[in-house]
Amino acid sequence: MPSDSDLVTVPARARTSTTTRVAKVLGLLVLAGLVISFPSLAPDSFILSVGVVIASYAVLATSWNFVGGFTGYISLGHAAYSGLGGYGTALLITRADVNPWLAMVAAGVLVAAFAVPVGIASLRVRGASFVIVSIALVLILLLVFQSWGSFTGGSNGIRLPRPFGDDVLRPEQHERFFYLHAALLAVLLLCWWAIDRSRFGMGLKAIREDEDKAQSLGVPTFTYKLVVFVISAFFTALGGGMYALWFGFLDPIFQFSILVGSYMVLMSLLGGIRSLFGPLLGAVIVGYAMEFFKAQYGDTQAHLIAMGALLAIVVLFMPDGIIPALRGLVNRFRPQAASIREVSAAELAEQRRAAEDTGGSERGEKEEVRR
Amino acid sequence: MTGSLLLQSLVLGVLLGGLYALLAAGLTLYFGVMRVVMIAHSAFLILAAYLAWFFTRQTGLDPMLSLLFTVPLFFGIGVLMQRLLISRLRPATLTMMSVLLTFSIALLIEGVLGFAFTGTHRRIRLPYSGAHLEFFGASIAVVKLIAFGLAALSLAGLYILLKRTRFGQALRATMQHREAAQLVGINTDRVAGFGFGLGLATAAIGGTALALDSTIYPSLHWHWIGPLMAIIVVGGLGSVPGAAIAAMALGLGQSLLQIPLGTTWAQTFFYLALFATLMLRPQGFFGGRLAQRF
Repeated sequence: MPSDSDLVTVPARARTSTTTRVAKVLGLLVLAGLVISFPSLAPDSFILSVGVVIASYAVLATSWNFVGGFTGYISLGHAAYSGLGGYGTALLITRADVNPWLAMVAAGVLVAAFAVPVGIASLRVRGASFVIVSIALVLILLLVFQSWGSFTGGSNGIRLPRPFGDDVLRPEQHERFFYLHAALLAVLLLCWWAIDRSRFGMGLKAIREDEDKAQSLGVPTFTYKLVVFVISAFFTALGGGMYALWFGFLDPIFQFSILVGSYMVLMSLLGGIRSLFGPLLGAVIVGYAMEFFKAQYGDTQAHLIAMGALLAIVVLFMPDGIIPALRGLVNRFRPQAASIREVSAAELAEQRRAAEDTGGSERGEKEEVRR
Repeated sequence: MTGSLLLQSLVLGVLLGGLYALLAAGLTLYFGVMRVVMIAHSAFLILAAYLAWFFTRQTGLDPMLSLLFTVPLFFGIGVLMQRLLISRLRPATLTMMSVLLTFSIALLIEGVLGFAFTGTHRRIRLPYSGAHLEFFGASIAVVKLIAFGLAALSLAGLYILLKRTRFGQALRATMQHREAAQLVGINTDRVAGFGFGLGLATAAIGGTALALDSTIYPSLHWHWIGPLMAIIVVGGLGSVPGAAIAAMALGLGQSLLQIPLGTTWAQTFFYLALFATLMLRPQGFFGGRLAQRF
């Protein structure tokens, strides 16, 4: 039995929603086409490797956004999970001789299991402790992985064998890993989209807007936060593992660095944490800017200053990100709503009446069919 | 383990704990007045240490004289930071966004320090750098005693300011309940600004104390922020005495664990204490109603 609200569709709104839907599908197709054709468009193997780095950042930022975007809990320490994913993959391959891809997934599962107690400790109380634990976790892991040289390779780092045979050349390697990252990203986006539309996602977003009210409405806030936190850690670990397989070398200083975690935050925030494609857009902008900076100025402290300034600007002036800002700009050229509600009371009455006419006859038709 | 070695590390633990206590008190002030977790606190600490080092290198005077200008400077920066940056953030997302904002300030400070003074490790050479006091078989560096003295004096000053003056009363009222404080006629915005300034002033003092006896480099602040964060969580966010007691306990613990474990592994003690606290008593051991919500 369809409810009344399902039937309230206004012709005018329906028309705009079909155009936006067509635009969305077209945009998706263009995006997919760009991603698929990028390796053949890239002029040389260096640009291709930059593409892989950006794709890796996009994977990490989108994984981060499962926690950051849905619940509004900002984790500065997601580098812990990407680093553990990378190290887990490397150690499983070198010490236990596991198949590289199996090792990557197994590392993801192990990291997800590790994230459960961490999540329980950090999500029991609100915001501040969560951030503190996320930072502390990165610092503690850095210490452990640097000092425990006999097992992790210590400060010298650890080298991974190539997952593809030695006959696969560098550019070919980059190309394969670019597609692999893109595929992982597609899976992540699909998951994010599915959660966004589900009851689970609604509960998470309620936590983001007002945790007390969500709790009083019966949302099991702690369980929801914990589940999405573990999902996010799992995907982040997969991203870290895939990066490790591509790069072939891990150094604790770079793996367990607060900077890597804050890149994920900056990218997501810049693109817009409430949007599906926000982290991807942010990763493209920040990742490109970073590579440009490195090529221009080398490894000086300049990138720290640029990163800090950019983060401060985003936090102060556009905490919602680029995508919502653009959407606002587009909406400005659309017919304006009369009140802050999406539809005014008069429009609503009009819609109801129209719906009663058309909806009534539709229902009649359906009954005809059923007979 | 000999008795004198144990005594030595006990004394060093207390001396270290004093510095931790001062810095944690600053962090507690920020959290109390604005509900802000100030990641940049330790970056300002290193900035003050660099200013002290630079002052001594340029003038040849004692680094402690640099306090005469770093303390007012940091107080001013703190007030400006609260008025111009922190208060701009939306109240609904203040806790999370302030973390990011202060984090970006920490990055800026680290970057600027690296730019201005390069990443070279720096150390102040003082005529009394090598001096030691013998104390029942334990030998204690004089600079560590001076650093502890500075920290203890400033903590005592802060305590008197908070407990005995009208401003301290207003500050504590603002920390406890902002609206109620406004209702009894306290200008909470100004008080919050001053609270921030005071917090940053502790970083100035702590930085000078740090510069006396350690080697400094721009990325050193990451080694400080983790332990400090652990201390304020263990003590209970927003409780000054709690932070001081936790600082002492953890500083002692770290110092004692250094004997069997070595310096690196002893640092993990802070993080273990942090996780244990969150598991057993998430509001911290001395935090009250305030800490429960954060």
